Amino acid sequence: MVSDDILRTHLQELRRGTVVVASLVALRQPGYGYALLQRLTDHGFPVDANTLYPLLRRLEEQGLLTSEWNTEERRPRKFYRTSEDGETVLRLLLTDLAAVQKSLTGLIEGVDR
Amino acid sequence: MSSLTDRYLAATLRAVPTPRREEIATELRGSIEDMIEGRTGAGQDAATAEREVLNELGNPDRLAARYADRRLQLIGPTYYLHWRRLLRLLLSFVPALVGTLVGLARAAAGDGPTTAITSGFTTAFDVAIQIAFWVTLVFAIVERVDPSLKLPAWTVDQLPEVPAKRDMTLTDIAASVALLLFTAAFLPWQHFWSWVKDTDGERIPLLDPVLWRSWLPVLIAVLLAGVVFELVRYRVGRWTWPLVAVKAALDLAFSVPVVWLLVDDRLLNPALVERFAWLQDEGNRQSITVIAIITAVVVLVWDLIDSGVKARRAG
Repeated sequence: MVSDDILRTHLQELRRGTVVVASLVALRQPGYGYALLQRLTDHGFPVDANTLYPLLRRLEEQGLLTSEWNTEERRPRKFYRTSEDGETVLRLLLTDLAAVQKSLTGLIEGVDR
Repeated sequence: MSSLTDRYLAATLRAVPTPRREEIATELRGSIEDMIEGRTGAGQDAATAEREVLNELGNPDRLAARYADRRLQLIGPTYYLHWRRLLRLLLSFVPALVGTLVGLARAAAGDGPTTAITSGFTTAFDVAIQIAFWVTLVFAIVERVDPSLKLPAWTVDQLPEVPAKRDMTLTDIAASVALLLFTAAFLPWQHFWSWVKDTDGERIPLLDPVLWRSWLPVLIAVLLAGVVFELVRYRVGRWTWPLVAVKAALDLAFSVPVVWLLVDDRLLNPALVERFAWLQDEGNRQSITVIAIITAVVVLVWDLIDSGVKARRAG
């Protein structure tokens, strides 16, 4: 039986890139840090807070997210939203993810491409 | 007293670039309060919730590094192998070389053998530390300043040859080292424990004691350099042309001073010459000199042929 450590490492590797995809999808509707964290966890994308918060800022700097401060509530919150560029990148990422899934299925079923 | 959250924010923001500090502070404080509320809403008490949330966010420096996209390593995988290669290359010969030179210089300046050898070793050690520090510092700076520096990519041309079958056995090296150490030990031995005694029963050194303030330390240093050379030779595993050249240079560094001192009549202890009538004869002393010269030449030529043939075969 493979040790838990090895398994965890491989799962982490597999999941790493999907957090960006999931965030870009989720932020088609504007959301703030903690709410996004909750939503991703609820949908089966458990992500560490100390990974997600800096990631949001990085995606914003890359122009994939736009942001807006909402000061109407009890405390000021920064709402992020997927930008047009973000949408373009997201479509490419989703296409690639589907391609990976398709290739994998092909490989599993032994069908030659 | 400030709250844990305040302290956590201060610790994180300290390491975040100034222009974005305010904004990150407001957002991070909001996120932390959201997380705490999430927990208290589930029935936890506020103090425990705060502790757990901050523990979950982890080391503030790490979080700040993620915000600033900063590297958490001194030298990363891009430069590590270059760093290691350069460091190994420099450490393989520079400290030994400088140490030997300093030792020889001290000996030539008239310091005693102990002082000369000690200063040689201390210098070698200092040089090694300096090299390690500066090389690492430069690479650590490069890692942070320009991560896209173009270093030559690896190609198959850099593949080393599969090491040839060892030309030299451990016995071979051990014998050479033993001979060198024996010769080096002979020099102080003949001074303190000479088997020749004068009429009063006092021991007479074989070599002129005056030489301890000039050439004998140098000869000892050359012999010790020979030991280092043998170790390097074993490490390399086969004769190469540079090794052949160094071997010849070491041979000459020992034999030339000895022969020259003999020719100048400065090698043997005058007291010893006085003790033996045979040595007082000019012709006999010349015979010794001639024998020494022939021996030196034979050793040099033999070493050159032996190592040269092996280097040619290996190359």
